[in-house]
Amino acid sequence: MAKLKKFFRYENVGLLFVLPAFLYMLVFVGYPIIRNIILSFQDVNAGNLVRGTKNFILFDNYMELFQDSVFTNSLWNTLRYTVLCLVFQFVIGFLLALFFSQRFSLAKPVRGILLVPWMIPVTVTALMFKLLFATDIGVINFILRSMHLINKNIEWLTTPGTAMFALICANVWIGIPFNMILISTGLTTIPKELYESASIDGAGKVQTFFKITLPLLKPTIESVLILGFIYTFKVYDLVYVMTSGGPVNSTHMLSTYSYKLSFEMFKYSKGSAVANVLLVILLVVGVFYIKVTTDGEDA
Amino acid sequence: MKKKKITALMTAVVMTASILTGCGAGSGESAPAAENTPADKAPAAQDSVKEESGEEAAPAGETQPITIWYYWETEGHQVALDQIIQEYNGSQNQYEVTAKYVPFADFKKQLSIGASADELPDIAILDSPDHASYVEMGIFEDLTGKFDVSNYYEGTVNSCTVDGKLYGVPFGANCLALYYNEDMLTAAGCSVPTTWDELKETAKALTTDSVTGLALCSVQNEEGTFNFVPWLWSTGATSYDINNENGIRALTFIQDLINEGVMSKECINWTQGDVMNQFISGNVAMMENGPWQIPTMQAEAPDLNWKVTLIPKDAEYASVLGGENYAVINGGNVDGALDFLTYATSEEKVKFMMDKFGYISADKTIAESQFAADSPYQPFVEELNYAMPRGPLAEWPSVSDAISLAFNQVITGTATPENAAAEAQATIDGIVK
Amino acid sequence: MDEEKRLSRKKNILFGIISAVLLCILLFPLYWALITSLKTEQEIFQNPPTFYPHVLNTKSYAAQVETGDFNMFRSFANSFLISVGATVIAVLLAVPASYGIAKYHFKARKVMLLSFLVTQMLPVSVLLTPMFIMFKNMHVYNTWVAAVLADATIGIPFSVLILKNYFASIPKDLEEAAYLDGCNKFGAFVRILIPIAKPGVMVCAIFSFLYAWGDLAYGMTFILDQEKRPITAGIFNFMGQYGTKWSYLTAFAVVTIIPVALIFIFMQKYIVSGMTSGAVKG
Repeated sequence: MAKLKKFFRYENVGLLFVLPAFLYMLVFVGYPIIRNIILSFQDVNAGNLVRGTKNFILFDNYMELFQDSVFTNSLWNTLRYTVLCLVFQFVIGFLLALFFSQRFSLAKPVRGILLVPWMIPVTVTALMFKLLFATDIGVINFILRSMHLINKNIEWLTTPGTAMFALICANVWIGIPFNMILISTGLTTIPKELYESASIDGAGKVQTFFKITLPLLKPTIESVLILGFIYTFKVYDLVYVMTSGGPVNSTHMLSTYSYKLSFEMFKYSKGSAVANVLLVILLVVGVFYIKVTTDGEDA
Repeated sequence: MKKKKITALMTAVVMTASILTGCGAGSGESAPAAENTPADKAPAAQDSVKEESGEEAAPAGETQPITIWYYWETEGHQVALDQIIQEYNGSQNQYEVTAKYVPFADFKKQLSIGASADELPDIAILDSPDHASYVEMGIFEDLTGKFDVSNYYEGTVNSCTVDGKLYGVPFGANCLALYYNEDMLTAAGCSVPTTWDELKETAKALTTDSVTGLALCSVQNEEGTFNFVPWLWSTGATSYDINNENGIRALTFIQDLINEGVMSKECINWTQGDVMNQFISGNVAMMENGPWQIPTMQAEAPDLNWKVTLIPKDAEYASVLGGENYAVINGGNVDGALDFLTYATSEEKVKFMMDKFGYISADKTIAESQFAADSPYQPFVEELNYAMPRGPLAEWPSVSDAISLAFNQVITGTATPENAAAEAQATIDGIVK
Repeated sequence: MDEEKRLSRKKNILFGIISAVLLCILLFPLYWALITSLKTEQEIFQNPPTFYPHVLNTKSYAAQVETGDFNMFRSFANSFLISVGATVIAVLLAVPASYGIAKYHFKARKVMLLSFLVTQMLPVSVLLTPMFIMFKNMHVYNTWVAAVLADATIGIPFSVLILKNYFASIPKDLEEAAYLDGCNKFGAFVRILIPIAKPGVMVCAIFSFLYAWGDLAYGMTFILDQEKRPITAGIFNFMGQYGTKWSYLTAFAVVTIIPVALIFIFMQKYIVSGMTSGAVKG
């Protein structure tokens, strides 16, 4: 009994460590989340934003959304975009992290410089890629043409399929340093002695990677993927600046469509509903993440 | 037992405090910054103190602050507005007007958020097609009878009138017309087009490897709609009635321009400013654009030989009315706002600002004598006679969305003109009934 | 001995070449931004594009300094202040929180972890209005405090998620050794665990800083006075209704990168060593 009490007290100290950060987030983001959920069940538009009654129409906004082809396309786009971005930026970032974990004199400075794409505000990056992918004056078409890979300029940003490709390229470019740095730092938590003893035991490089690096890096990989998923899934600036959801709504994402409904078309409740769909999907992913990462460790 | 609890609590409390010191290495980068910033801030703070004491030095008692939100990012526009404000502030001591720049892309958002939070300016200078939506939101003061707008162009007054009541004052007017590169036209031996057929032929003749014949901003938003509706309206179709022979003809015409290569598909990514940049770079021979580009064009391409003419017609000449309106926010300092607007809408001030902006006065009597006969602005004054406003309708953003989508569909080839028209009509019917 | 050295020198050169190639590919967009900023608008629109400016144009850089209400140096100071503020809050709150989550298996742990994730799950657009109302009631609307508070909400959950792995990877015996030395839990946390987790803390500080540095939505929405706005707000001077001026815009990109890059180069020694050398030594 006394032991049990002591156990709780010990664990409660942990709670105290977490509480300040938790309360901070609760205050600044908790309220917006709740407000947004309420808003999505109402019928708020330009007419009753300030005055007039806000009626509760429950799931009507959601029902209408699922009949709306722009919404369903946005949903599909967001999923497709997130998965593709994540795969490419994670794999490339991982390989780069492994490469730069080798000991050679340029490793550290070059890795530092590769962080630069992360220092540019996303809006600026988006504009830069818009310029790179321009049809007539864009350098990407020029390079492809010079290499005789194409003989007619590709209309990257004005054709539905290729516009999505351009967006993914831009996002992967931003995402590579993110993945690389986090995995690099994750690699530093692996004790070097493990590698040394592995090599003494005669383990090959591939074997070491799968037997030591990967398992020990698992928590980092999980964190990087979940954060990457969340950030990519709610992409906004990049798409807004590069394509604004066009051409013909083909690159609308949940976040850009939510913004458009709320602030361009004055359909505030519907915009909130779109944001909540986004939230629910991420919530499922989040619960899955928590389950995977904390399973078994309490034993 | 109790002691332990307290220790635990203390730990958590002290922890926060001592991390400040404990984590010295980690926060090392922030320490010098924190020291620097008061110094950085100091000059700014001093400036504002100076300004305030300057105000206090004025003989009058209390000055009331009046805030204006506007979205012009062009420096010339900002300076012109600021000059009027400074003159006004100097002319009386009751009110002190300050203008805040809110980017165009953020303007509607900021007004929406401000309305929810009851944090709005006293005056907003906003894009005319959005006016009706904010009237419906109930944030604008009824100005009926407070301003004489009888000499104003009907369309400009309509854009701020809802249910017969006046909820704003037109700031200035503009409309779209056709710019053409005169040297290219002469070289190709073409005359100035006046009909759609002539336009297509001329555009074809002007198109070369490096030049496309015509460009018009076709982005899928209000800006695009602004550039599309003159073609739609020229056929006799209205904004609300597209799925008919006329509407389809307009869509087909634009699609033909794309298919025949005389207009670039890239137009769907070009803002009106981008179109202008293409025009002055010599990549485009003709463009649909507004008069506000003229000051920039004259400054950046002084040697370019261009002229302006009416947008070629199908059934009738048509253009679209653009420009901003002043609106007074009903929760703010209404008296002060009215006082400033009375000042700013006087003939002399309007003339000054219109010249600096490259706008045409919304006041017909001013507009008609605003420019010399050979001024590049003069064709726009003529075009203004054919210009119609978008809306006014509280749901205009949704109608506009349907129209710009339809045009984007035919430009990108993702729908036939017939299907695009039918789809747009279905959306519009759902809004207007 | 000799043979091994030669091998590593070979490896050194080979890897150096590979990393140089990687650098060229990955930083090409930046090179393109740099040369675009030095071209005239006419040259930018030239087809085919030129790979270096044939006519050098530095006008675009002069325009960065002051345009209308926008003053670059002032917005720099603003951005710096906001980013440092957000970083300090994020690190101060996230370091203990991640330690608590990693080392104490209290009951609400999973809920806490999930709620940190949930706070990241709404797009910024729907957070703006409620946050705006809150900041107005707190009387911090239109001050940099509002942007600091809002920007920290990005850095905190991120840092918690990354740092918890660091604390978790620290062997229990290290902590226990500290207790034996007479430290209490808190002392162990500050004196033993934080130094070991330094690479993680460093990375979190950097990312929190950069998140705040790149923020546009919060800074634009919660700060209305141009003179208090962050540097990112300057972008609106070069794009929008009146056309994208590529030379100005790319010059803006270059100018926003330089100071941050300088800070990083200047502090490289600390950052790199912090990031890579804090490994657990056992």
